[in-house]
Amino acid sequence: MLNNNTVENVLVLFALAIVLVGGVAILGWGVPLAYVLHGWMIAIFAGWGLIWMIARMNEEVRDIPLEYNDKVTRYGVLAALFWALVGFTVGDILAWQLAFPTLNGDVFWSNFGRLRPVHTSAVIFGFGGNALIATSFYVVQRTSRARMASETLPWMVFWGYNLFMVLAATGYPLGITQSKEYAEPEWYADLLLLVVWVGYLALYLKTLSRRAEPHIYVANWYYLAFIVVIAMLHTVNNLSVPVSIAYPKSYSLFSGTQDAMTQWWYGHNAVGFLLTAGFLGMLYYFLPKAVNRPIYSYRMSIVGFWGITFLYLWAGSHHLHYTALPDWVQYLGMTMSIILLVPSWASVFNGILTINGAWDMVRTDPAVRFMMVAILFYGLSTFEGSFMAIRPVNSLSHYTDWTVGHVHAGALGWVAFITFGALYKLVPWIWKREGVYSLRLEAWHFWLALSGTLIYVGAMWNSGITQSLMWQTYDADGAFLFSFLDSVIAMHPYYVARAIGGLLYLIGACIGAYNIYMTVSGPKKAQAREAGPLVPQPAE
Amino acid sequence: MSMKEKDPVSGTDLTGHEWDGIKELDTPVPWAARWALWISIIIAALYWVFYPSFPSVRNYAKGMLGYSSRAEVATALQRADADREMTFAPFASGDIEELAADPTLEARYSASISKLYADNCAACHRNDLKGQVGFPNLVDGHWLWSGSPEEIEATIRYGINGQHDDTRIAQMLAFGADGMIDMQQIKEVTEFVLSLSRRQHDATAAENGRLAFEENCAACHGEDGRGGYEIGAPDLGDESWIYGGDRDAIYHSIHFGRQGVMPAWDGRLSDAQIRMLTLYLLWNSEDAPS
Repeated sequence: MLNNNTVENVLVLFALAIVLVGGVAILGWGVPLAYVLHGWMIAIFAGWGLIWMIARMNEEVRDIPLEYNDKVTRYGVLAALFWALVGFTVGDILAWQLAFPTLNGDVFWSNFGRLRPVHTSAVIFGFGGNALIATSFYVVQRTSRARMASETLPWMVFWGYNLFMVLAATGYPLGITQSKEYAEPEWYADLLLLVVWVGYLALYLKTLSRRAEPHIYVANWYYLAFIVVIAMLHTVNNLSVPVSIAYPKSYSLFSGTQDAMTQWWYGHNAVGFLLTAGFLGMLYYFLPKAVNRPIYSYRMSIVGFWGITFLYLWAGSHHLHYTALPDWVQYLGMTMSIILLVPSWASVFNGILTINGAWDMVRTDPAVRFMMVAILFYGLSTFEGSFMAIRPVNSLSHYTDWTVGHVHAGALGWVAFITFGALYKLVPWIWKREGVYSLRLEAWHFWLALSGTLIYVGAMWNSGITQSLMWQTYDADGAFLFSFLDSVIAMHPYYVARAIGGLLYLIGACIGAYNIYMTVSGPKKAQAREAGPLVPQPAE
Repeated sequence: MSMKEKDPVSGTDLTGHEWDGIKELDTPVPWAARWALWISIIIAALYWVFYPSFPSVRNYAKGMLGYSSRAEVATALQRADADREMTFAPFASGDIEELAADPTLEARYSASISKLYADNCAACHRNDLKGQVGFPNLVDGHWLWSGSPEEIEATIRYGINGQHDDTRIAQMLAFGADGMIDMQQIKEVTEFVLSLSRRQHDATAAENGRLAFEENCAACHGEDGRGGYEIGAPDLGDESWIYGGDRDAIYHSIHFGRQGVMPAWDGRLSDAQIRMLTLYLLWNSEDAPS
């Protein structure tokens, strides 16, 4: 095997053994079929990991090659694309179901409540999470001029994380959920993710500590903030008591208002640190690399980073305006959300102005165009977010499709656009290809995705504000002018438009996946040698 | 002055950091951004002064306005109740029969009551009041518990087979599933029931089914199958069917029975609202008293 750290190997073996025991316990004692299947998946995964580790330990000891380790990044990119297609497809099916409810086929597993978490988990954690893991591994090595600090941990992180995703996505349709939005997987999947995440954090910190650069680059601040905060959120929000090893069911430690607040502290910061901080890390590396320009302002990077890191953690309560949550918590969340706008926009301007001197590339390079539009959508969503956090505005927007439109402006316009932009750059680099297979297809992907997003978000703004106004309109008698049913009927055209927008977005992503597939299966670059200077690390 | 490297495009200083070819400009934070940040902090601080904000160990800063969501909601609800009491005064008290006889109410209130109907009743009985399979048509003039205002009001208030102590109870037994009559008899009774409403049927089988009908069904539906308001048994001789009047649906009803539920609206809707809905049904029913 490759010369590696023995202590770490023992720890990984130990972790895998515990996961194996857990999996065997579940498949042995478990009662519901889906749960037993999950036990088998966990046990097979851990058993396979153990065998792989032991086989490697028996190999002849070789030196770790003096080059970057991009193999896991390649797997991560493919996994991200796979989950993107799953998530977008399920999302668009749901959009059609909302417009035509009978499309659920009257089958238990295909109703909205069960499919919706498949969509959200697949896009946020499957697509977004894998893209972040893949790019963070790539970026931390380049900006530290150091190979990954471990040969085994990257694999454990990748496979463990994707096992968690499979457990999540197969569990929901079969009814395994703890009913916490964006944190639906049950206790055993949560424990698995916790083990994986500790490995991710250790790996990242260790690689950073081996860096050959005097400073830590901004992208790594963000990636690290993402890893640290998700570890914290995941642990606290999922504190629960399982009823028995025989069942997947557990009960949360929190109840009532405390539960709601913990949930939205989690939910909002999953947005803040996974969907924002993580992808800002991506932006801070791939944008300057793509346009070959320096970051516009180091000082704005600092204002942006610390503003976001400090303020986001206060803002979760703005999801619970006008509820049983005490007023002071609501006002704190609202005011911190207002202050959050400027640091968010510091990142926006820092990104946009970094393109100064290379604006022609927005025209010539679709990947740069993806990134530029991503920043604009980031600016739009953060403005909208701070605005919607103001209580009177929230009384209009809350519980309406405006919220759905806002989330998708961020998710489709910002998160996915920056990811596709970065992937179009990253894929030729890590597979050592001359460039992307087809710039034409890349441009098609861009325009389809942009029109899909605009149709989607525009439809939801209209639908949301229409809903809200219909709900709040009274006649001279003080009676409702519209019934709830009237508002549902009024939504229909917008829901059809939304489904069409989603379909365009999905078609774009399919073209993107095809383009990347053709790039990967195409010919290698003539000169395959990595240019970046790597510094030898002392053997450990 | 340090001799820092400059960016040739913008002429700005570089910080001197470099990672994998990425450099940074040392551009100061623009004045507009600094101002915007301070303004947003001042706005937030004003909220902290005037509205509830930071917590202490046992309490929290109440804010100078003494604002409270709960108080605000309570006042708003009180005001809305007072408004409604005034607007809908005719329904607040009084005899439902008298209200039904008042010809002025329909033009004045029908539109706003239609929203009350849509929000509470339309999910089952549909927005056009014509019902759907399993949920009776409310405009065809065929009533299960009679079309008198009092009885309609009681049905809305207490429900049918519901949770309320005073709920109406109407059970169609599962004659087949519970083994009271055999499959052949169910088929014959089905034909007999079809004959009651003069539908296409097998006359011999229907005649054979008459005895089983009289022994098992007539207690509720009557010898002639015309039902009865006392126990909410549907009239089998009219064109109005709750669960469908074709052969399969009737067979299914006899075999498995029917226990449809209408929830009680007592407590969920006010007395005035229940009266309003009662009148709304009367106004829209084909045999409405005019």
